Amino acid sequence: MFLVLIMFLSSGCARGNKAIQIKGSDTMVNLAEAWTEKFMEKYPESAVAVTGGGSGGGIASLISGTTDIAKASRDMHHKEILLANRRGVYPLELQVASDGVVVVVNPANPINKLTIKELSDIYTRKVKNWRELGGPDRQIVALSRERNSGTHVFFLETVVKLGQKKNPNEFAADVLMMPSSQAVVEEVISNKSAIGYIGLGYLNNRQKALAVGKDKRGPFFLPNIATVKKGEYPISRSLLFYTNGTPEARVQRFIDFVLSPDGQEIVKTMDFVPIK
Amino acid sequence: MIDSKLKEKAAFAILLAATIIVIAPVALILAIILINGLPALSFEFLFSIPRDGMRGGGIFPALVGTFYLIVGTALFAIPFGILAAIYLNEYAQRNRLTRAIELAIINLSGVPSIVYGLFGLSLFVEFLGFGASILAGSLTLAIMTLPVIITATREALSAVPRSFREVSFSLGASRWQTVRGVVLPNAIPGILTGTILGLSRAAGETAPILFTVAAFYLPKLPTSVYDQAMALPYHIYVLSTQVPNVSVKVQYGTVLVLVGMIFILNIVASYIRSYFRKKKTW
Repeated sequence: MFLVLIMFLSSGCARGNKAIQIKGSDTMVNLAEAWTEKFMEKYPESAVAVTGGGSGGGIASLISGTTDIAKASRDMHHKEILLANRRGVYPLELQVASDGVVVVVNPANPINKLTIKELSDIYTRKVKNWRELGGPDRQIVALSRERNSGTHVFFLETVVKLGQKKNPNEFAADVLMMPSSQAVVEEVISNKSAIGYIGLGYLNNRQKALAVGKDKRGPFFLPNIATVKKGEYPISRSLLFYTNGTPEARVQRFIDFVLSPDGQEIVKTMDFVPIK
Repeated sequence: MIDSKLKEKAAFAILLAATIIVIAPVALILAIILINGLPALSFEFLFSIPRDGMRGGGIFPALVGTFYLIVGTALFAIPFGILAAIYLNEYAQRNRLTRAIELAIINLSGVPSIVYGLFGLSLFVEFLGFGASILAGSLTLAIMTLPVIITATREALSAVPRSFREVSFSLGASRWQTVRGVVLPNAIPGILTGTILGLSRAAGETAPILFTVAAFYLPKLPTSVYDQAMALPYHIYVLSTQVPNVSVKVQYGTVLVLVGMIFILNIVASYIRSYFRKKKTW
């Protein structure tokens, strides 16, 4: 009886005016939420469902056909693409924004560039004084965002853990956790010993952005929209949408909105880097 | 020798202290939730959609989603649970199959809820192709709730004295007539109480709905059982871990609504129990 019921229900699975489903990256979940909020203001008859679950979860849903859009903060692995193809899914990649984290210090600080390793040492407190990096004899005041910030997670993974998944490094206990990017900005402006990290959108000329290199030999890149977009600046990544082939019209309308000036303006307010 | 009255007093004091220690955390949790959550409650909070990156507005879609999930769970779990319990208690022979089924039910009630969630993901969402939907979520929650309902129903059925059945049989009634006319009416209060408690647990679960239905943000009310929905437990998780800078007031307010909902269900359950207990003539 149970099985009959289930069969009956699955046969009724015709999908009419369904919500556009967007699943995946937790980094992008608040961005997608913001897009959805504005999109549905513009097109009140549409419906969009945003779900988290991580980039991997979103890609898995795309492969199993349970989402229209997979949002991902990393490229699809070769294995995932093969698996998708075997299931008759042909992922189409589209960059919708970039994520670039700027390391800032007070303009009075003579340091201009640091490597990822040196930044990791600062945030794990292996290096405690600017002198060790060729600066003045002052204790380093390391500022971080709070744990619930996507920027915090990205910085932890890319810089503190040196981009290695299994690296045991964590932010040291005496790193100051600031409630917002704005708070980091204010502290860096007023404190000569401070170092902090913020989204590219928060950078202004009252703080100094450091050039960052993968190692001592360089090359070092200053963060700006061009280097972030090209992926040259090391603390950056692309934020992507994956769809199964060319999306249908209702999904395309959402993607068009995301790429429109309005959509990209939202990218900026959410602390990410627009692609246009 | 300590005199026995003093012993009695000491024992009483220890038992009282133990009880207070047990209920103190519950009282404290409730007090904290009430103090912090009450200021958030308003008509607008309950009946409008989330706004400003879910930092403002209300929780209406999550409230409705959880309501639908409770109804869906009830639709699937109650009939099957009660029928299975009747079979096991009134019809089944005491043989190996019955014992195996009983063992399975006991084990099912010990399965962690995240395992139900993943099971629901692979069976309902992917294999049967329901997608993340109210249907898949309700079925997952129903399977999780079944052992509770079966066990409660069996206990209620067993509590009906054997002599009732014997009298019914002696009047020539069949087994089914006996179950329907004598056993079930007398067991209904126990069944209802157990069922409602099972459903109230389902209402508060996060893990089973995580992969099967819950949406991070879906500002529209669901229109069919194949739609995703927001749900209160997951919304609380999202507000406290995924969305930066949500005011504490909004977080506690959402918690208060969920706790309040479950509280009301539980009060209904205990009211039903005491109402029928008073009417009981045996």
